[in-house]
Amino acid sequence: MEPKKQTIIIVLVAVLVTAGIAVGVTYVLVAPPPEGATDELEIYHWWTSGGEAAAVGALVDVFKDLYPTTIVKQRAISGGSGITMIPIITALILAGEAPDAFQMHAGYEGIEYFKADLLDDINDIWTDNNLETVIPDVVQSMCQFDGDYYMVPVNIHRSNVVWYNLKELEALTPAIDPKTLTNWTAFFDACIAFEAENPGKDAISLGQAWTQAHLFEQILAGEGIAVYEDWINGDIISGTDPDLLAALTILETFMTYTNDDFNTITWNDATDLLIQNNSIFNVMGDWANGEFLLANSVYDDDYGTIAVPGTGDMYGLVVDAFQHPAGVAHPKNSDRWLEVVASKEGQDAFNPLKGSISARTDSNLALYGPYHEWTIDDFNSVAYMFPSVVHGSGAPQSFSSELSSVINAFCTGGATKAETAIAIAALASENAADFTTVWSLD
Amino acid sequence: MNIKKITTRFKKKIKKIITRDKISTILFLIIPIVFVIIFIYICIIWNIVVSLSDWEGLRPSYNFKDFGQYIKLFTNKIFLTSLWNNIVLILIFVPGSLAMGLFLAILLDQKVRRENVFKLIYLFPFTLSFVVTGFLWRWMYNIRVGVLNTLLESIGLGFLSNKWVQDVDFAMFWVCVVLIWQYSGYMMLIFLAGIRSIPESHIMAAAVDGASSFQTYYRVIIPQLKAPIFTGFVILVVFALKAFDLIFILTGGGPGYATEILPITMYKEVFNKKHFAYGSAIATVLFLLIMIIVIPYLYSTYGGKKNERN
Repeated sequence: MEPKKQTIIIVLVAVLVTAGIAVGVTYVLVAPPPEGATDELEIYHWWTSGGEAAAVGALVDVFKDLYPTTIVKQRAISGGSGITMIPIITALILAGEAPDAFQMHAGYEGIEYFKADLLDDINDIWTDNNLETVIPDVVQSMCQFDGDYYMVPVNIHRSNVVWYNLKELEALTPAIDPKTLTNWTAFFDACIAFEAENPGKDAISLGQAWTQAHLFEQILAGEGIAVYEDWINGDIISGTDPDLLAALTILETFMTYTNDDFNTITWNDATDLLIQNNSIFNVMGDWANGEFLLANSVYDDDYGTIAVPGTGDMYGLVVDAFQHPAGVAHPKNSDRWLEVVASKEGQDAFNPLKGSISARTDSNLALYGPYHEWTIDDFNSVAYMFPSVVHGSGAPQSFSSELSSVINAFCTGGATKAETAIAIAALASENAADFTTVWSLD
Repeated sequence: MNIKKITTRFKKKIKKIITRDKISTILFLIIPIVFVIIFIYICIIWNIVVSLSDWEGLRPSYNFKDFGQYIKLFTNKIFLTSLWNNIVLILIFVPGSLAMGLFLAILLDQKVRRENVFKLIYLFPFTLSFVVTGFLWRWMYNIRVGVLNTLLESIGLGFLSNKWVQDVDFAMFWVCVVLIWQYSGYMMLIFLAGIRSIPESHIMAAAVDGASSFQTYYRVIIPQLKAPIFTGFVILVVFALKAFDLIFILTGGGPGYATEILPITMYKEVFNKKHFAYGSAIATVLFLLIMIIVIPYLYSTYGGKKNERN
């Protein structure tokens, strides 16, 4: 055979083989799996660290006890706040490969799926299980879009907590009673007293960008529930809003008592500074309690908690939830999982290990430690609850994801108070179309 | 009859054009060409279409809206800040890398022993992935336990230790230092090849005329390095415009907006906020900026040569 002919034949064979492989692979990927072959439940979540993994394991065990023949496939993808998992889930759902349920923050975090018709409503699960009678109003509205239920909450973390170092506060002369720190003046006076007696130390420990935004959110709530409600309804659109400026003024003073390297350390490193007696205050959600337990600190002896000044009658809500994605492979198991998640047994198995509290008001208090007794007491008695913006619930992503950078610029000296107020107001007005939920917090 | 004649002529012509050799060439080329068209050119056009659409949220939507996204860009403070940051990045990083690369090339040109070993050492940073470099330098720059601050304190220069990339005013400068560290070895290679291609006779002639070594470089060698400087310039500017991974890992665009450049803003808009149309508009602006640099380069490289031949 002459070489030219040979080349052509080789090329043609190569093309045919490539095409054959491509068709084969496509068929394997696209072809539907054999129907009804498996009794499975596939769930995605980002609980991978010790206590978290144990907590979700306990929840799965409750499910397995009820449905022993179902094979549960847990897909745990590490990365706080689902930073790695959410893009994967989005890709899976858009490709029509949605898992039977996945973890997300209640509220706005699910709205993009809802708007794209990628969630099924679960009103029947709420009514069949009488969930409205045991779950607080604000949490209920966090699980709804357009008046229908699309999620069930699995837990509640509290955001507006000040952790204090009791030993250091008692060592001051005169000793400071933390229960008196109900306003910012008293709080900052305590900072001044500590720094005067402990030269070289900073009174407050703070961490990287999102923890600063977390802090700002609590300070703003301290300006009053009506202010916070306006803020998350997208109604604070003036850069000269007095409440916004007042909150930034408090944040400005706050920053003068913090560690210098705040922008580079994680939230738990910041909590550790307090545990190691290098600071007396740390504002963080109550997942921080796990750090104290790891360090064998004793509640009401080594450390303690108060609500962030001004938020004594409020409970800041950070809520994880599960939902029923549209077109899942095992719809019945998805519903069963949601019922287990919302049940008293499920929540009582999950939350004591996770370090959060049950989203239900009828949980078994005997299962929890001393910190949680304090906070559950507040949960059942506070006047107001507010959904966290930084943790995905209270405001649209277009607002919350940018807030972190805006507050970070302020905390690191990259923007003045006036500029920051204008930037926060602009975030609300520029993204006005995304504020579709109308919150009613009082 | 006449028609038949024409068709046979035509057939002959076609046969002449499509020789067997050409058929195999076309077969070889057709697959890559199809891929290039789909994955590069159609994607670019698609991006422009999206930027003019009303696509917000997870479901694609291609209803034509208007040029609103582009108008919004130039009134948006965050976009303008990141555009400015991108310009600052180019102004520090590009001359910095060129100068450092030239300096290293001249050092290596001094007939040093084990030249290849030095070449390898200087080129090594460039072989690292940007993700690795990002994590590496984040640790170097760490305020509390970082290599730089620890080192400075241990040799008694503690007063020089500072906040590096966490310092709002100098963050971009320290980011540029990392980029220069990574790119100067590569620039060195380009310059060294340029220097070696200069005829020995030019340098000897300069020596005969009594030129010092500085004068030789300044008046004879560097003026002949226009082509490598131009190539390096284009590579560096294009990289600076689309640098994402290293900065995203090193600073995430922070503190505040101090190191946020266009690709990071684009990423945040699309993947965090699901503003697909707006993010695509940023991508289009980036594309145009890169074209402003690349088209003159392509013209001078390919268009120029053609003219010479003519």
